Amino acid sequence: MGTYALRRVIQMIPLLFVISLLIFMLTALQPGDPVDQLVFGNSNITADDIARLKAAYGLDQPWFTRYFFWLKQAVVGNFGYSQDFGIPALDFVFRDRLPNTLLLTVPALVISTLIAVPLGIFSAVRQYSLPDYVLTFFAFLAVSAPVFWVGALALYFFAVFLPGATGGVLSLPPGGLGSADLAPDAGWWATTLDKLKYLILPMMILMLREIAVTLRFMRANMLETLTQDYVRTARAKGLGDRRVLYKHALRNAVTPIVTLLGLSIPGLFGGAVITETVFSWPGMGKAILDALVSKDFNVVMTCLMLLALLTVIFQLLTDLAYGLVDPRVRYS
Amino acid sequence: MKKTLALTAFLLGAALAGPANNSLVIGTSQEPPNIYDPWNTNNLAITSEINGYMGAALIGLDDDGEPYADIATRVPSIANGDYKVVKNAAGDVVRNSVTYTIRKDAKWSDGTAIKVADFQFWHRLVNDDRVPVPDRDPWSRAKIAVNDADTFTITYDPPYLFADQTSPGLAPSHIMSAAWTAFDTKTKNEKDAKVVNEEWKKFISSYTTARSLPKVVAGPFKPTAWRSGNSLTMTRNANYWLQPKNPENYVQNITYRFIPNTNTLKVNILSGQLDAVSAVGLTFDQGVDLTRTERGKYKTYFVPGAVWEHIDINTRGQKAKDLDLDDPRMRQALLYAIDRDALTKALFQGRQAVSNSWVNPISKLYKKDVNDYNYNQARAKQLFAALGWTAGSDGILQKGGKKLSLNFGTTAGNTVRERVQQILQAQWKQVGVQVNIQNYPSSVFFGPDFLSKGQEGKWDLAMYAWTGNPIFEEGNLFKGEGIPTAANGYAGQNNAGWNNAEFNRLHKQAQVEFNLSERIKLFDRMQTVWNTEVPSLPLYYRVNVYTKVPGLVNYTFSAYTLYPSWNSAKIGWASKGAVEEYKQK
Repeated sequence: MGTYALRRVIQMIPLLFVISLLIFMLTALQPGDPVDQLVFGNSNITADDIARLKAAYGLDQPWFTRYFFWLKQAVVGNFGYSQDFGIPALDFVFRDRLPNTLLLTVPALVISTLIAVPLGIFSAVRQYSLPDYVLTFFAFLAVSAPVFWVGALALYFFAVFLPGATGGVLSLPPGGLGSADLAPDAGWWATTLDKLKYLILPMMILMLREIAVTLRFMRANMLETLTQDYVRTARAKGLGDRRVLYKHALRNAVTPIVTLLGLSIPGLFGGAVITETVFSWPGMGKAILDALVSKDFNVVMTCLMLLALLTVIFQLLTDLAYGLVDPRVRYS
Repeated sequence: MKKTLALTAFLLGAALAGPANNSLVIGTSQEPPNIYDPWNTNNLAITSEINGYMGAALIGLDDDGEPYADIATRVPSIANGDYKVVKNAAGDVVRNSVTYTIRKDAKWSDGTAIKVADFQFWHRLVNDDRVPVPDRDPWSRAKIAVNDADTFTITYDPPYLFADQTSPGLAPSHIMSAAWTAFDTKTKNEKDAKVVNEEWKKFISSYTTARSLPKVVAGPFKPTAWRSGNSLTMTRNANYWLQPKNPENYVQNITYRFIPNTNTLKVNILSGQLDAVSAVGLTFDQGVDLTRTERGKYKTYFVPGAVWEHIDINTRGQKAKDLDLDDPRMRQALLYAIDRDALTKALFQGRQAVSNSWVNPISKLYKKDVNDYNYNQARAKQLFAALGWTAGSDGILQKGGKKLSLNFGTTAGNTVRERVQQILQAQWKQVGVQVNIQNYPSSVFFGPDFLSKGQEGKWDLAMYAWTGNPIFEEGNLFKGEGIPTAANGYAGQNNAGWNNAEFNRLHKQAQVEFNLSERIKLFDRMQTVWNTEVPSLPLYYRVNVYTKVPGLVNYTFSAYTLYPSWNSAKIGWASKGAVEEYKQK
């Protein structure tokens, strides 16, 4: 297993290099660059000004020259400055945006998994009962409803309608990261409580979909497991329902969830672009989208390389975890 | 039960905006990349707006376009001798100069006096090749001469048309000059522009970002907290000199909330979270929606702006010749064939007036009595016929085997423009003009390979906007020299490619005509020529939409001031004793 893991780690290096080259090339080959945005609408700008700005930002050079300049800096940990925020891209990603994203996505994933797995099992065990129909219908609805629509409805309901109906007693903030009137020197407790208020709505919307997806997945796995020969054998031996379910079926039914979770983790770091956009939650998803639109190359590269690195790492960890939960899987 | 309800209310209750603690919460859809960068190395509108709270200038402009003295002791003019124009024997102006005296009480927010050195420092850097300012006009031709400790003269050679209405910037030399010297030493012999640029970013980001707020500012408010992606808070600067009487009656803290999604911004208004909205926020449609739900909680304003929406007609290349787009009669016919009044009524409730010139209607140079090209299908058909275009069996005009079929592009995703396109497409179809809509993302549309490449026939009609500043109007948009070509590095803005000898001559004269009444005459004729030739189909000047709650005073702007921050020292709540000086026009 150790040799296998080491071999996979060594393979990551050329893979990440190729990924970085592809991302840089695709970003650089998009039409337009940051200078175009400075130029357009400025009637005083001259050809000399344009040439000067392009040179300053290195945009007068071919993309592969710029790529190798970026690579040379990146291998020593310098990912350059964000064009849009004027701070080092690493700071922007790791200090400004990633914490916000993880604050939103990690609890959402953990809580929704804790809710969805038991519900999926319950739904499978009581197949074709009223609760099963209700849960299946809910899951179908939650998966189908567009996030931007549900999010907008939730915003209106909790931030406009509900306060109106309760005289302002019950309400949730209409998006953002924190109260405008929170003092900069407010203590940890006040800041946390304040942030919590702002976190509830986007997290609820994110969880809604996560629960639906995991519930359907778990239900399908459980149903498939319950029809297996070894389950029938266990029942034939006279074992009780609970023992058959929890001792024999559950472990095998949960195994694919490991894969699902393992592959979801890099996605946590990538943020939830629509949820973040609707709720003005400044996270990674929104940052990547904005950086792509505004051609903030350094931020695009930093974000996407981080996601690429996490993807290959968690793919490896998922494969290794498989060996732990399924004794039939061996790495040699 | 009561306890539970109280706890729930505490947890779920959101702080309400309002005058309770004499503060102001403003919503905006953009976050600035940086703030108070004295050299404005980014040109986003929101940056200019927010900088307005923190910045001060020698001379400012009020909502009526009238100059007022801010850092300077008085407004320079020929009459008071502070503005001088030097002519040669032929009577041509060869240079002009403005003398400014800094007020004795003008201070940075740390209490340090503002000095001539601060203007010199700013001027030296704006002309330094290592500083990536978008353009250096007119500062590259300006020289500063120190007269005494508080007085200096700036001379423009060649002369600058608006020398008495603009003023050089300033930067806190006592704060920045040591770091600049270090930057200078480090990059003096550096050949690689990218390395220099990285060093520049290091230098400027130490004073302008969420991580490193400006150390000092000169304006009415100073930044105190910037939570990246969420909000920026500013506090009243006690060292600002133009305070209103009883400054404690006026707003003490201002918080900008960054809400990129404009629908979410709307919900914030409806839920009472915002006292006002920035000039960079709502769309026109949202403004119209919001007027229906005001109920006294807020009021929606539609402010005539400085953004001119129009359709360029490509007059260059073989295709333009084949379609007669290079003939003014064709362009006139296309304009007569569309009902712009009906369009603005249908889409904008008539709030965005139809324009017939590129000049801003509130500018002194604007000519009212040009041909208004009122909707006239019969006249349009006459003009098409005069050019030899006749209707084919499918109703589409044709000539010499070619159909009058035009590609009409704009920025994809702009719903207002896309609706305008559909209305115009239907109207042109009625007179036999086939219009094919082909839209592009902004990065392509405004990129290097589309608008400026009219010669290659990449487009026939292009709808977009220019800013028409009512003060600094030079008539550059349609000058012949401004046609983007390979020779000028595609730097011009005359994308239509219209080249009119008389207009060019008048434009050249106007550029050196320092007498306003004479310039008005030249612009009169320029607009007549332009209006006859219609190289662009003028649509309307856009309005800016914003909301504010009742009782908030002096939060106003116009096409002169552009942003409500121009008068920020006097923004306040009537209930707290703030006196209203300016009403929103």
